[in-house]
Amino acid sequence: MQTVTKTAAKDKNEARLELGEVAFDIRNLDLYYGNFHALKNINVKIPARQVTAFIGPSGCGKSTLLRCFNRMNDLIEDVRITGEIHMAGREIHGSDVDVVRLRTEVGMVFQHPNPFPMSIYDNVAYGLRCQGVKNRQTLDAVVENSLKKAALWDEAKDILDRNALKLSGGQQQRLCIARAIALEPQVILMDEPTSALDPIATMKIEELMNDLKKDYTIVIVTHSMQQAARISDRTAFFLLGEVIEFDDTVTMFNKPSDARTESYITGRFG
Amino acid sequence: MPDKTRFSSKQRKRRQAVDKVMRGVFLFCGILSALMILLIFYFVGQKGIQVFLPSYGEKRQSLWNFLTGMSWRQDRGVYGVGFIVINTLITSFGAALIAFPLAVLTGLFIVKLAPKNLRVVFTTVIELLAAIPSVVYGVFASGSITGLVNTIAGWFGQITAGGVGSLSVVFLLAIMIFPTICSMAIVSIGAVDRQLELGSLALGATPMQTNMKVVLTAARSGIFAGLILGLGRAFGEATAVTMVAGNAMIGPTINPFDPTRTLTSTMLSGLKETTGLDYDIRFSAGIVLMVIIVGSNLLIHQIRRRIGGVTNE
Repeated sequence: MQTVTKTAAKDKNEARLELGEVAFDIRNLDLYYGNFHALKNINVKIPARQVTAFIGPSGCGKSTLLRCFNRMNDLIEDVRITGEIHMAGREIHGSDVDVVRLRTEVGMVFQHPNPFPMSIYDNVAYGLRCQGVKNRQTLDAVVENSLKKAALWDEAKDILDRNALKLSGGQQQRLCIARAIALEPQVILMDEPTSALDPIATMKIEELMNDLKKDYTIVIVTHSMQQAARISDRTAFFLLGEVIEFDDTVTMFNKPSDARTESYITGRFG
Repeated sequence: MPDKTRFSSKQRKRRQAVDKVMRGVFLFCGILSALMILLIFYFVGQKGIQVFLPSYGEKRQSLWNFLTGMSWRQDRGVYGVGFIVINTLITSFGAALIAFPLAVLTGLFIVKLAPKNLRVVFTTVIELLAAIPSVVYGVFASGSITGLVNTIAGWFGQITAGGVGSLSVVFLLAIMIFPTICSMAIVSIGAVDRQLELGSLALGATPMQTNMKVVLTAARSGIFAGLILGLGRAFGEATAVTMVAGNAMIGPTINPFDPTRTLTSTMLSGLKETTGLDYDIRFSAGIVLMVIIVGSNLLIHQIRRRIGGVTNE
C-alpha cells in the first residue's frame, strides 16, 4: 500500500523521463584531477530510456564522465569541474543539489560486483532503509519486485536470508542491479559491469539491460566494442579526454565520420 | 635425437632436501606449541581435580560445594567459587560493556573521520596503551580510580573501603581492554574494501549511514575477534585486579561499591605464602576460569553470527 502511495507521490512531483527526452544535457564540461585535464569541453546529450555506451581506450575519461552523473567524483580529492550537466532541468553540480537525492535518482553498478556482506534481502532493502523506510510489507514488495526486474528472483527467492557473498559473480552483479533498481531511479550507470564476469553471466546482464531500458536510462562504460555494438542505441567514442564522436551505434560502427573512431573500432589501436 | 638431460638438474635434489628440512622445522614448532598448551592443561587440570578425589585424604573437597559455595574463607577452610564466578562475570562483562562501544566508535573515528595526521597520532597512542604492563595500570587504578569511585559513592550516599571494589575493577578493566579492542577495530575497519563504501554512497546513503551499516558490518569479524581478546584479558587479568578488588570473602557482590573477588585475584593473592589445600585449590579455580573463557568465546561467536542478519555463514 505504502509503495503505491510513495510511487504515486514520486510520479506527481518528479515525472519520469520518457523516451525521446534528454536525460543528461552536458554543456562545456571540463574536469581536472589536480593539473591533469581529464575531460575536455564535453557537449553531449544522453537520451532517456535508451542505452548509451561510452567506448575508448583506457584512461580516456569514460568512467570519469560517468561518475559526474551521480557526483561520485566529489569523493575524489583535488577534482575541479567547470561547465554544466542538466538533468530534468536541474544543474546537478549546483551547491543546493542534495547529492543523496541525486544518487537515489541516478543509480550505479560497478566494475566488480560489490554486494554488502549481509543477506540478499538486506542488500536490496539497503537503499530504502537508508531513506527511512521501515515497513516490512513495503520492503518485501520492493525486494521481490527489484529481484524480478533484475532477473534474479527465481534463483534467490528461497535464499533471501543467505549471505549475498555466497552468490556467483554474475548473480552478485545482478543483485547489485536489483539493489539500484529498488530505489526506482531514472538512470542506471554501469561502469564496465561485465568485465569481471564470464561470457554466460555477461550475456545475462546484456539481456537484462535490454529489458531495463524500457523503464530506465542506461549509460554503460565498456571496453568491449562488440558489447557496445550489441546492446547500445547510442555510442560515444572517447579519446584523451575528448568525445571524438557521438552517434547512433549502428551509424558509428558502420560509417564512422572521424578517422580516429574508425581506427579504434577496427582495432588499429586501443 | 631427444635430449635426455633436458628438465633434469643437480639442484633438484638439493631443493627437495631443503624443502624437507624446512617442513620438519615447521612441524617441530607446531608440535612444540601444541605440546605446551597440552602440558598446561594437564598440569592445571591434574592439580585442580586432585582436591576432589578420594586420594586427597581428609581435606578432600566436595565438587558441588566448591562450585556453588558462596564464601571463600581460607581461615576456616571453606572454599566456594560460586560467588567468585558471578563476580568475575559481572566485572568482565561490565568492563566490556563500557569499553566495547567506545573502542569500536573510536576505531571508526580514527580510520574514517580523523584527519590524516591525527590518525597516526591516535593509532600510536592506542598501541602504546596496549603495551603498558598491567602492574602499571594497577598502580594507577589504586591511586586514581579508587579515589574517583570513592567520590562517586559519596554522591549516592554509599560508603566504600577506600574506593576498592567492584566498580573500580570494572573501570580498571575497561581501560585495560579498550586498546586491545580498539586496535583490532582499527585494523579490521581499515581493511574494509573501499568498493563497498562507494556502493553504499552510490545508493544514496550518507557517509554516516555507510560507516554504521556497511563498514561496521563488513568489519564485524575482526571487531568481534577484538572483543574476544579483550574479554580474555579482562577474565585473565590478575595483578592489577588484585590491587583494587578488595577480595571479599562472601558474595556475590551486587553493589558496585562493595569489595569483590575475582577468580584471578583469588588465585593470586597470597599464593606464595601458602601450601596444602589452600594452594592446590587455586588450580581448581584456574580450571573454572578456563571453562568460563571458552564459554564466553562460544557465546560471542553466536552473537556475531546473528548480527547483520546473516545466520548461515
